[in-house]
Amino acid sequence: MSTVLYCLKKLAAFAVSLLVLSVVVFSIARLAPGDPLVSYYGDRAEKMSPAERAWAEERLGLHDPLPVQYARWLSNALRGDLGISYKYKTDVLEVIQGRLGNTLLLGGLGFLLIFGLSLLLGVLCAWFEDRLLDRWICRIGTVSSCVPEFWLSLVLILLFSVTLRLLPSSGAYTIGHAGDPADRLRHLVLPLTVIVLGHLWYYAYMVRNKLLEEVRADYVLLAKAKGLGKGAILFRHCLRGILPSYFSIIAISVPHILGGTYIVETVFSYPGLGALAYESARYQDYDLLMVLSILSGGAVILCSLIAQAVNERIDPRIRAGEVGPLV
Amino acid sequence: MSDSRFTQVGIRPLPPPLAPAPRRRRPCLSAFLLGAILLGCLLCDLFIPKDPAYMDLANCSRPPSAAFLFGTDTMGRDIFSMIWSGGRVSLFIAFLATAISTAIAVIFGSLSALAPPWLDALLMRLTEILLSVPSLLLIVLLQAVLGQPNAVTIAIVIGVTSWTSIAKVVRTEVRQIRSSEFVIASRCMGGGFFHILWRHLAPNFLPSILFMVVMDLRSAIVAESTLSFMGIGLPLSVISWGSMLSLSEKALLANAWWIILIPGLFLIVTLLCITDLGNRFRKNANRKESNL
Repeated sequence: MSTVLYCLKKLAAFAVSLLVLSVVVFSIARLAPGDPLVSYYGDRAEKMSPAERAWAEERLGLHDPLPVQYARWLSNALRGDLGISYKYKTDVLEVIQGRLGNTLLLGGLGFLLIFGLSLLLGVLCAWFEDRLLDRWICRIGTVSSCVPEFWLSLVLILLFSVTLRLLPSSGAYTIGHAGDPADRLRHLVLPLTVIVLGHLWYYAYMVRNKLLEEVRADYVLLAKAKGLGKGAILFRHCLRGILPSYFSIIAISVPHILGGTYIVETVFSYPGLGALAYESARYQDYDLLMVLSILSGGAVILCSLIAQAVNERIDPRIRAGEVGPLV
Repeated sequence: MSDSRFTQVGIRPLPPPLAPAPRRRRPCLSAFLLGAILLGCLLCDLFIPKDPAYMDLANCSRPPSAAFLFGTDTMGRDIFSMIWSGGRVSLFIAFLATAISTAIAVIFGSLSALAPPWLDALLMRLTEILLSVPSLLLIVLLQAVLGQPNAVTIAIVIGVTSWTSIAKVVRTEVRQIRSSEFVIASRCMGGGFFHILWRHLAPNFLPSILFMVVMDLRSAIVAESTLSFMGIGLPLSVISWGSMLSLSEKALLANAWWIILIPGLFLIVTLLCITDLGNRFRKNANRKESNL
């Protein structure tokens, strides 16, 4: 019973946050200056007579007051009709469908690599604290965190595509080879490298610092006195101690890594959602923008809820209701 | 007779003192380099050999040589001159953006901490929603509202979109000291919000946000260059480290490595120096010996 109630509560919180998010995005998108007709009619929009403009706005439902527009959007959306993209003139979902897979592949692989490697590097650093390996990893990591993503992409293209001609510099696949996994992989190498290097050190350093704090706790002394080996203490006790806070941080960053790929997607001309979101925000493609924002915002909220749930499994101290406010 | 035993206990050799804290290296090199870059950018009018905006179309994409120290870009501008005068714009934007975001964060964070619980919860929900709105969307929209981009509007855009993490830290810190006697005393004597903030709260939370502020400076430089590179920041005619690199698509085709590498290396060296200096402000909590 209480589990059902718990799930319902979480679901309600999720729905309310989504609703607020949609209102916020809807209003800032419409209040910002810009001409959505340009994205629908292209250059023709500038040559329209006032009567034609009025007709076009009427047709797209743009001249009702904002609350009415929002109510219409919401009722349509709840019935599964998310509107059309002004630029591509097809259903929004169709536009997204073609690109969702690409972004999920790039972002998902990137996320898994960042997650695994950051834990590995963090544990390595904590194991060899203040020794040569730790110091060098820290040094290289600091440098890597200072390199802007777009510049790294340029340098990689310059090196591997232009000079060495080893890897393709743009696209998700060679035309005609869409189904060939090897070809896809070759196109993924450079963007993936940029994404992983761009984020890795931030998380690895966090794991390292949290582990170093954990290693100084008293229970480590007890475990050592009990005769446990270094590896057992580090992996079975310390790592477990830091995982909750690590999960909650990396969960919030899932959409950041997944959706924040727009720089990489633009530089490598990779057909994904990031580039699409950038386009739709710039050219007032309202319906597309709404769906993309809600998709990414919803992912943020969902991931933090999942992190909360996972944390409560790992660390019973956090379980709701057991800890009262401290102040 | 039992005395001797006690003395024996007394002369037992003392346990070795805790390992001395590792000596912290002073970031001399990075301070010197950063100072040189700052000074060079400020005083660039005195020594740059050419007008950075002048397009010498006869000398497009020349590799580094005696006449053009770092070569010229695809529009024939001298990269050596552009780096120094562009750095001035980039660093100005970074400092202004950091000041804006720090000010918003400090005020918002302490307001939230001092407010009644319902307002506090509301403000925190607000920041969470702001975080889940894609920052790209916010940036593009703000740009549209502020009109033709220039250095100040870019700084405002970057500042307004990057304050949330510092605000959270400020809130946590202020919550810990908000019911201290000195704050209550000041309130009883009629101290206003800004008086308490400035005289009593700020000195207490400044050390813990100083590192984040320095890191903010760093990310503001990156943000400016990325925005300008993507074409939603400064226009091509205003030279900055970002807008210099926005021509690099053409440079890639011409295989002109100097157009990409040299400004980028300048950028990275600056960022590294700032990071190194910023690490000095980091609280080093774990000077205890490891138990492992």
